[in-house]
Amino acid sequence: MFEIGKKGAPETGPRPESSPTRPETSAPRSSGSGREAAVIGPSIHIDGDVRGEEDLLIEGEVNGTLQLKSNSLTVGPQGKVRADVYAHSIYVDGLVEGDLYGSERVAIRKNAQVRGNVTSPRVSLEDGARFKGSIEMDPQAVQSSAGRAAPARSNAPAPAPKPAAAAAPPSAVPGVKTGP
Amino acid sequence: MPEALNAPLFHSLIKRMEAGGRWVVLDLGPARSATIRSFGRFRSRLDIVDLADGLDVLNGEADPRRIRTHAEQLLLPRRNETTDIVLLWDLINYLNRPALTALMECIAARCKRGALAHGLVYYSAKRMPDRPTTFVPADDQHLAQISVPTGERPAPRYSPEDLAKCMPRYTVERGRLLRNGMQEFLFKL
Repeated sequence: MFEIGKKGAPETGPRPESSPTRPETSAPRSSGSGREAAVIGPSIHIDGDVRGEEDLLIEGEVNGTLQLKSNSLTVGPQGKVRADVYAHSIYVDGLVEGDLYGSERVAIRKNAQVRGNVTSPRVSLEDGARFKGSIEMDPQAVQSSAGRAAPARSNAPAPAPKPAAAAAPPSAVPGVKTGP
Repeated sequence: MPEALNAPLFHSLIKRMEAGGRWVVLDLGPARSATIRSFGRFRSRLDIVDLADGLDVLNGEADPRRIRTHAEQLLLPRRNETTDIVLLWDLINYLNRPALTALMECIAARCKRGALAHGLVYYSAKRMPDRPTTFVPADDQHLAQISVPTGERPAPRYSPEDLAKCMPRYTVERGRLLRNGMQEFLFKL
């Protein structure tokens, strides 16, 4: 892990799912309330916009847009997300095709496959992960992007190619950070 | 980690970046934490292509137009902001001449005038690993090979003249023979 603008700062913080009694793929605890995160299970397939104000673990498939204002999203090892994702923190163990906007962090783990662009103040990628896309590491650009990170943005970086079914244009959504 | 390779021209790139400003860096290799960490301390955008899996497609095509089409598909979509620095590293050695020409043309179309490309060419060694090696910055002056395939194949041993023919839009700004027999090049658009 590094923080943009900080020279070579290694990741020192624990993984959010590092509880010894809980496998890494299990639902993370909500950062705010301490309760279990919501789970989209392996048999669930969603086409459309997913919004919420609690942590979310995806082990199923989501095509569309994901917006979690101040919560974390984990794409588990079985998870398949073809969507632009806006969340406080994003952890990827599975497959993502789409752009990732993490207002706090984006962590791409060693078994992840990501095709898309990443914008976040803190980005980490474990060796072994398959990644194709751009990582924005300019703090000014990240801050600017945060101001445009509403789904109806007009000047956002070009999104990664995605299936037509995943390109549903979402509207402005309460609970999603739209300004600095 | 294997012994790091002193790479003075890579160091010269880093020194230029330290002068400040925003940089768009195109990395043809796979995503690696050390590379992200190295460039993450600059105001930069790192475009990661992970081209190695597409080499066979590029090398297997004879029609230059079709090679360019493949190359465009393998590279990231063009964006409004042009590229400042290209990290070729050892991929040059794994492209035949038509593929090298087509790929570098497609890259040039994404770069700003004066952009720099950093490459490593097997020069004195007659053989090289059968697949590209993964290089990462060990520090500002050294590159480390973190994956070295076990198989070998003949090295094309591209000379500066060969490269000038294959990459007509690029000039060799500087070249240095490294301790391991590779030639380090800094190309300029």
